[in-house]
Amino acid sequence: MRKSILAGVGLLALSVLPAATAAAQTGTAWLHVRVEEAKEATKVAVNLPMTVVEAILKASPEMIEKHGKIHFGEEHGLKMADIRKAWKALAQAGDAELVTVESEEENVRVMRKGDLVQVFVDNKPKAGKDGKPAKGSEEVRVEVPVSLVDAFLSGEGEEGNFEAAIAELQKRRGDIVRVKDDDSNVRVWIDEQNTQPPAGK
Amino acid sequence: MAKLAVILGVPIALLATVASLGVVIVDVREGGPSGSHIVVPVPLVFAQAALALAPAVAPEEKLRIPDEALEHMGLAREVLEALAAAPDGELVRVEERDELVVITKEGRSLRVHVTSDKENVSVNVPLHLALQALPDEHGHIRTAALAGALSSVRFTDLVDVQDGKDHVRVYVW
Repeated sequence: MRKSILAGVGLLALSVLPAATAAAQTGTAWLHVRVEEAKEATKVAVNLPMTVVEAILKASPEMIEKHGKIHFGEEHGLKMADIRKAWKALAQAGDAELVTVESEEENVRVMRKGDLVQVFVDNKPKAGKDGKPAKGSEEVRVEVPVSLVDAFLSGEGEEGNFEAAIAELQKRRGDIVRVKDDDSNVRVWIDEQNTQPPAGK
Repeated sequence: MAKLAVILGVPIALLATVASLGVVIVDVREGGPSGSHIVVPVPLVFAQAALALAPAVAPEEKLRIPDEALEHMGLAREVLEALAAAPDGELVRVEERDELVVITKEGRSLRVHVTSDKENVSVNVPLHLALQALPDEHGHIRTAALAGALSSVRFTDLVDVQDGKDHVRVYVW
């Protein structure tokens, strides 16, 4: 009798488990941002449905431009047409290391690997004075899907195609940006969970 | 006997009518032995009437938002509409040594919880009400629409603040 009760409870638990897991799976893409600062013992987590991100980006290109956050165009001697040409040429080159900068202070690598453009920036730590530990190291990892750049550059004239870029971003799953330095960790990623896993995962 | 029934019945019927239309209740409990308990019920219909009459009595510039704010209203509307249509979830969590701030989207409401050693604050923002509170394209606050939207927030806890032994609660019944 006891065994059958236990079996019943076990079966019930097993039937509830997938439902509990699915509670966080929304089927919608969510953009997550996590910032952790060890020194201040601060953790900030932002989770936004991509539909909300889309609304923000669609409603704000003029505002972004007005406030000077996007500097495409002739004022920088770089036309969108040139960027498009360069990107097309790069696309034909396939996987390649596009940029490598090595200096005393930092190493920068920009490469195309499969469907991604990867940007790695490593700032080297500065030696501490009077025996203090070295500080100032920073590790930046940015992964941009090739299709996202394609979509953004599919616009005409000096404007990027925001709508196409957002539509492309909706399909993306995984890390976009990771920044790690002495005091803080920043991670930006997209998945279908409406919450974030505990820190460190 | 009939007179007494009318004398008692009319105010009771009036009260029942007002109550059935909704009441905003402000409930303040002060802590400590001499702490008082104040409950202020405001019939929703009074608030709605005040809002509906506001354009007639208040100067126009008082019911208009500044131009600098007006340029962001389109974005605010888009975001609120997208949030209302989005699935539920935890939108923001800020953990500090002595404070926790959590903003969640639950149904058609945004819930803000602030927890610290000294106080607990809980604010509920019905998205429908927030949308109606946004001004029109000329920057005018649409008081009549806001008055209409108030009835949709019945049976909602709007604010709950626990500060030490003091407790303030604002809810719509």
